Amino acid sequence: MPKRIISIVVAICVATTMLWIFGLIVTIQDQFFYEASSSTKQIEATNSNSKQKDALSIVALGDSLTRGTGDETGKGYVGHVMDELKKRTDKQIQFTNLAIKGQRSAQLIEQLKQKEVQRQIIEADIILMTIGGNDLFRGGEALRDLSTTQIEKEKKKFIEQLNTIFLLIREMNEDAPVFYIALYNPFNDLDNGKETSAIVRNWNYAASEVAAQYKSIICVPTYDLFELQVNDYLYTDKFHPNKEGYKRMGERVAALITLTEGEK
Amino acid sequence: MINLVYNEMLKIVRKKRLFIIAAIVAVLVSLFTYAQFKQVETIRERIGTTDWRTQLQQQIIDTQNRLNSTGISEEWKKFLKIRLQQQQYYLDNDINPMAPGAPTFMRMFIENSIELFLPLLVMVIAADLVSSEASGGTIKLLLTRPVKRWKILMSKYIAMILSTSFIVFSVAVLSYAISGIVFGYGGWNLPLLTGFSIQGEELNTTGVHLIPQWKYLLIEFGLAFFVSLVVGTLTFMLSVLLRSTAAVMGIMLAALISGAILSSMVSSWESAKYLFMVNLRLTSYVSGMAPPIDGMTLSFSMTVLAIWALVALIISFYVFTKRDVY
Repeated sequence: MPKRIISIVVAICVATTMLWIFGLIVTIQDQFFYEASSSTKQIEATNSNSKQKDALSIVALGDSLTRGTGDETGKGYVGHVMDELKKRTDKQIQFTNLAIKGQRSAQLIEQLKQKEVQRQIIEADIILMTIGGNDLFRGGEALRDLSTTQIEKEKKKFIEQLNTIFLLIREMNEDAPVFYIALYNPFNDLDNGKETSAIVRNWNYAASEVAAQYKSIICVPTYDLFELQVNDYLYTDKFHPNKEGYKRMGERVAALITLTEGEK
Repeated sequence: MINLVYNEMLKIVRKKRLFIIAAIVAVLVSLFTYAQFKQVETIRERIGTTDWRTQLQQQIIDTQNRLNSTGISEEWKKFLKIRLQQQQYYLDNDINPMAPGAPTFMRMFIENSIELFLPLLVMVIAADLVSSEASGGTIKLLLTRPVKRWKILMSKYIAMILSTSFIVFSVAVLSYAISGIVFGYGGWNLPLLTGFSIQGEELNTTGVHLIPQWKYLLIEFGLAFFVSLVVGTLTFMLSVLLRSTAAVMGIMLAALISGAILSSMVSSWESAKYLFMVNLRLTSYVSGMAPPIDGMTLSFSMTVLAIWALVALIISFYVFTKRDVY
């Protein structure tokens, strides 16, 4: 091996050793002796409008139903809506799923106050949401105690919060249609099915009244989809829909979306 | 002394190890570049946009959902929570931590290789520096020269340091050059946040400040060099103590791999933080990841590593100068 190659390698080695030692000095200076004065405020906000032109922007909000819990294919009803829309339009679809499992209406209000979430909603063309399932069922435990006063109290609180949610959405985005997917009764084949169904119907009615006060907020019923043979459409936890259940929900929502788009 | 070091470098270069290591790095970098490229494509397909804010927001929501699911371990939960707060901080300050570009790839690559990959490469060089001379019998020839023994060992140690920095350098250059073909060569001035400190499950952001990516990289590669040096010194000590290169490699491999495994399960065994192998992920402190054990900080880890290296160095010199060679 010629001597020159070795000399070059040794030279590189020495030079890089210097460089890394310099790196270590920078590390010590930056990580240990940092003065908290020059803050992060110098960041220039690059708040450019990032939305691609003529892309269809869809934002999904809410709880586990919008997440798709229980659907082994992982699609959920939003997945079916997406599939359907992709068939119908050539536009590019930009989809953001902001739903969080177990979320209740109060938490959704908190979420709507986040800057980035707001930006998403402002740019949205269509908003899908489910909320209220956890407020009412609390993971399936609450309906053991069917005392009407307790449920009335919960309902009143929920309706107020739902109103706030709609108000916040409409403040950010005046036009985008909001599809609020109402509740179904996963317990309707149990012994007290009649009582629980009455509660769910009542709850849905109140929610649809709230929705009706706003322009193009559509309350989509799902109650009827799960009325017969409820267990065929429920996941093994007997609470979330399964693949079939989500497919039915998705089909219903997708059907409504084309209608409102046609009006534009 | 310079001649002695030059002589040692000659031996290392003659063995062509450095070039083999560079080739290994090149192959791995190409693999990861392709993997990263595929990942970016999948995300774009799933969300339908290349806007990083949307992607980061989606990641945050996905993490929140994982936090809500049952059956994930407490450590993992804590890790996710801290990452979540960090991502939210990036989002709130309108900074993209993952802007595509070769420097970002370099950062990702060094963060992932500091714990295992880089130490392994260093080990390949350092393991047979002394032991091969012992097993090959050439040590006698070396020691019959009228040079003090500590000088001979010193020259070998300096050669180890030089080749370690060559390895770190080749990782830097190759990861930049190869990933740049796909991601572009720009992005040195991208602002990044550092200075997060972790208290329990909370992320403390009072010391957070902004530095350009080139400085961030300099810091991370400096730390990578430090880690490689410590691992190299430990290997060097074993190489002095043992005659068989295979035994040296075996012990170091076991230690390094056990470190990778331990890091994910030692959170309840607190005194494990004094082991060198759980302290190797120094870059996590810079980027603000949760440490494997509560109370570990950058200065703590660096001190622990430095002490291990110093003790190893003293042992090697003591043994080498006192040992009978026959």
